[in-house]
Amino acid sequence: MIAPASAAAPQRFKIFRWKAIGPLLVLLVIVAVLWWLFADTIARRETQKVGTQMLGAKVEIQDLHLDLAHGKVLIRGLTVASPHEALRNLLQADELVADVDVVPLTEKKLIINRIAANGLRFGTPRETDGRVAAKSGEGIAGRVLAETHEWASQFQVPVLQLATGKISIDSLDPRRLQTIPAADALGARADSSQRAWKAAFDTLRLAPTLDSAQGTLEKLRRARVTDLATLNAARQAVDRLKRARDRVTTLERTVTQGVAKLKSGLAGLDSARGRDYALARGLLKLPSLNAPEVGAALFAPGAIRPFERVLYYAQLARRYMPPGLLPRATTGPTRVRRAGEDVRFPKERNLPAFLVRGAELSFLLQRAAEQPQRYAGSLSGLTSDPALYGRPTVGTATGPQLGAALMLNHLRSVPVDTAGATVGGIRFPAPRQPSSASISTATRSTPGS
Amino acid sequence: MFALIKLIQSLFGALHSEGTPDQLAAGIVLGSFLGLTPLVNIHNAVIFAALVLLNVSFAGGMLGWAFFIPFGFLLDPLFDWIGHTLLFTPALTPMFTSLYNMPVAPLTNFNNTVVLGSFVFAVLFALPLFLATRVGVTRYRATIGARVRQSKCYRAVMASKVYNVYKLFRP
Repeated sequence: MIAPASAAAPQRFKIFRWKAIGPLLVLLVIVAVLWWLFADTIARRETQKVGTQMLGAKVEIQDLHLDLAHGKVLIRGLTVASPHEALRNLLQADELVADVDVVPLTEKKLIINRIAANGLRFGTPRETDGRVAAKSGEGIAGRVLAETHEWASQFQVPVLQLATGKISIDSLDPRRLQTIPAADALGARADSSQRAWKAAFDTLRLAPTLDSAQGTLEKLRRARVTDLATLNAARQAVDRLKRARDRVTTLERTVTQGVAKLKSGLAGLDSARGRDYALARGLLKLPSLNAPEVGAALFAPGAIRPFERVLYYAQLARRYMPPGLLPRATTGPTRVRRAGEDVRFPKERNLPAFLVRGAELSFLLQRAAEQPQRYAGSLSGLTSDPALYGRPTVGTATGPQLGAALMLNHLRSVPVDTAGATVGGIRFPAPRQPSSASISTATRSTPGS
Repeated sequence: MFALIKLIQSLFGALHSEGTPDQLAAGIVLGSFLGLTPLVNIHNAVIFAALVLLNVSFAGGMLGWAFFIPFGFLLDPLFDWIGHTLLFTPALTPMFTSLYNMPVAPLTNFNNTVVLGSFVFAVLFALPLFLATRVGVTRYRATIGARVRQSKCYRAVMASKVYNVYKLFRP
């Protein structure tokens, strides 16, 4: 405590306020007690918040217990909503037990040696909309969702057009057909060309020229070498023959070009006929039975959507598991103040910021059935810094009618994600049809592989 | 309303405390760290401990904290820019990489652009703030301090029991 200003004798200035140590210690004890009381709640809320932010869908946890002394984290009642479907969960887990390395926590690094998950369920219904990124469009998840949605929306899958309404042939107006006028025009052009070529051939007048040349040739046979007049006549005859040849060549070129144009007109006639057929088919509204169109209409809606979702998770993995060791920024934590960006500085031969060394999953499907199907899965090397861990992320799942494997190799500058699965019992959705169809099709969703 | 009264009490209490202008200015500087940087961070625990343990004006600290909170919100874009610039400066990358991979340091959230930017700003702002506050308090006490102390308004404010809270930590 400093001396009052009115003190007569100067006292030594004290830097520390020793009497405040007591209240400060009390404050620390209070903080410690509060932590002891509320650590589980704080960890549960933070896990929910971070999970929701990363996945773009609500992550809910019923109960979370931290046992840092033994490096264990127990999660009960985990529910992860689907980022794509409003009233559906991505997964639910009855219990998750994680073995955590405690020392790396002081470096703000979460290293999970093993996770055991029991009672996993997928695609269960939920009562509230759990989508976050789809509604807000914010954060990495929001951006990735928008990108994948834009990618999927570029595929305009045509509806399978079958005959609808009353078929009427009265509406087929011959004046709307293109083939007949085109054929008439082509015929007229052919006649015109024929007349022109005949006239041109007539104007060649080759017979007098040939007769004259024949006469000159006869004269030449009988002429002497010194008969200059005959020689001069022969030269003139040769010139006339050359000019006649040029006229023939010109006529031949003209005819060739004309024939080519007529052939082109014939091809145009075929096109016009195709258009007329299409017009007639359009009037009749006959179903298109082209294999690619039928295939697209039947399978594309059922294939693009799952692929869009797979692409979403693959892109998220690429954002959260980037290759290389350069500093990289992610959106900072949500708070009242501006979030800013968190910049990570991975360093060689150090632990990554997040790592799941191994996870074992077991789950039952069709629990209500007499013989529920038991599935098992494993995951290893899930990390935020693949370059530090040095091995790709590998996942497998096996069970009745299922065999799946996944490898995310983000070790090099170009990430390679590979996945393969054999799944049985899939039901394809029925193709979209106009509701007023008068000709019904016998399409039904059937199980397939 | 309570917060406003408390702030006014803190202001007058600090200005008319027995602490020296240096103590008051140091308290306000430490309080400015709490106000300018995002609160829930380890460095603020250290600042708060320093405010309690060091022989500086605790009321000044509370005053500085309350006074600089709005400026913290207002200057967040600037802090973000400062932090981003520093964290992505190639020359500083080795230092940040070492800090990021050593125990405890990452818990300070120094790798957040707003936290680093606001902390650096607060450090740079500390000396000018200290000098300006010291001069201001000295001049206040030399000029109108005595008259304010005699005013009814001052006595009314200080008569409130809330003032006693502040008294617990007065220098």
